[in-house]
Amino acid sequence: MLELEQVSLQRAGKRLLWQVSLQAVPGELCVILGPNGAGKSTLLQVMSGYLRPDSGRVRLGGQDTVGLSAARLASLRAVVEQQATVPSGWRVSELVAAGSYFAAPGQQAAAMAQALALTDTSRLAQRRLDSLSGGEVQRAHLARALCQLLASTQPERYLLLDEATAALDFAIADSQMAQWRQLAQDLHIGVVAVVHDLNLALRHADRVLLLQDGCSIAFGRTADIMQQARLEAIYGIRLAELISPDAGIRAFVPHTTR
Amino acid sequence: MIRLSLLCQCLLAALLLTCLGSLLHGSGIVWAMLHGNQTLPALQLQLLLQLRLPRLLVAICSGMLLSSAGAAIQARFRNPLAEPGLLGIYSGAALAAALALSLGAGILPVSLAGFAGSLLTLWLIRLLASPNGNGSRLILSGVAISALLGSLLTLLITTLPDGALRSITFWLMGSFANAEWPQAWLLLLATPLVWLGLFRQWRLLNALQLGEATAFHLGFDIRRGAWLVVCLASIAAGVVVSSCGMIGFVGLLAPHLTRLLTGSDARRLLLAAPLLGAWLTVSADWLARSLLAPAELPVGVITSLLGAPFFLWLLRREQESPRA
Repeated sequence: MLELEQVSLQRAGKRLLWQVSLQAVPGELCVILGPNGAGKSTLLQVMSGYLRPDSGRVRLGGQDTVGLSAARLASLRAVVEQQATVPSGWRVSELVAAGSYFAAPGQQAAAMAQALALTDTSRLAQRRLDSLSGGEVQRAHLARALCQLLASTQPERYLLLDEATAALDFAIADSQMAQWRQLAQDLHIGVVAVVHDLNLALRHADRVLLLQDGCSIAFGRTADIMQQARLEAIYGIRLAELISPDAGIRAFVPHTTR
Repeated sequence: MIRLSLLCQCLLAALLLTCLGSLLHGSGIVWAMLHGNQTLPALQLQLLLQLRLPRLLVAICSGMLLSSAGAAIQARFRNPLAEPGLLGIYSGAALAAALALSLGAGILPVSLAGFAGSLLTLWLIRLLASPNGNGSRLILSGVAISALLGSLLTLLITTLPDGALRSITFWLMGSFANAEWPQAWLLLLATPLVWLGLFRQWRLLNALQLGEATAFHLGFDIRRGAWLVVCLASIAAGVVVSSCGMIGFVGLLAPHLTRLLTGSDARRLLLAAPLLGAWLTVSADWLARSLLAPAELPVGVITSLLGAPFFLWLLRREQESPRA
């Protein structure tokens, strides 16, 4: 289990996170939702061990992240960052290989091939990153992070995604999130994603954490948490809930009077 | 992309030929051999062993050190303008050397003072920048220190007598003319150590291309690893500048040229760049010696004179070519 226990963090006198708790388990997609500035990305950085909380605990598969080496952390979790970097001249295969630098030499090739296949990037392997579209770059970075997890021998592994759909059009974003959930089930890894789009979360998340001003408002099963009144309070606008009866799809849209 | 082994073989061959030419040029040995003279005059052997050979070794090693340090430091800071002297190492070494000169020291003590000066600058930067892995703060501290030490150097130079002034010009321009066996031994020792230390970090240097946060996420201890790279590159700069002065543009140009041939993978880059860098310095030294013979130009003048326009051309070319 990836477990946050009463995590608080301050920077420059400003309270960024206050007593946030969360449990993510392998096989599930857990989504962190909240308005801009709620502390979603900060929370993800605390989970990844990049930021150390002022108080509270972060455990990855039972191990407290404080005191774990960078290499050890890398065997337990992989991260796809908010801004997908495109170093000049790199090929997709070189990017994905970076995920397996710490793997045993025999495992590197297998992990790479599997990561490329899972993200449907095998045919892009020899292409240069700066010649790819935004969605393809995003998939290449996902492959890099998956390669890191596939090369690890730890029993429990987690994939952390920070607004990885922000630059994608809604169709690609939707298929990406469906893919994350599929990967979580197929590889039995825990996926935690910061997402901006309510409806993507509604459609694909197993669990949701609602965050506002650094505080956890609610955490639990998606259907239980994503209630209209609660979301209206967090985002400070009126919402309308739309339901497509034949497809069984729910969606929220802003309900503003012109 | 050319195959790496082929590229390295070509570079090695070019380097060896240039070395041979530089070593024997104008020594009369080839002439003597052509005429069936088996024995070399003692004076010429002396010239080769005591002057030409150490000078050649110093040129090779400094080219290798500057280019591998340049490649590593450009990768570490994700900045194509970075070079080994970025953090004020050159200024620190030059200031210490000028101080030693003004006290009337000889060539070797001045070299040692220069090296000590570069290490002192590195320590000062470590103290001021508290290297917690934040690259831009490190660079800015280095720039400030470089400016400070540079102005101190100018201040010192204005008070120097004429004789010392001529010697300090050697530091500012860079030259292999004073290279003798002690410097050659120092460089022969430092080059493999520094290169091996940098080469062992190729994975980290690649990961840093993705940003410091990503490199951490991939499992690298940025605090320790990146500081090690900066230290090794600075030591390389210090060793070179203390034995042959400031040789401009090699540390910047050689990695860029190599990147054109190998791509930006740090492992390939660190294998090919030293060969190219050594070829550059050896050729520049040969030119510096023979262009206005018997007078001699500072080698730093040649590298900058040829390097700067070439670098500008390279920039234009990179901009124009579509990134496909």
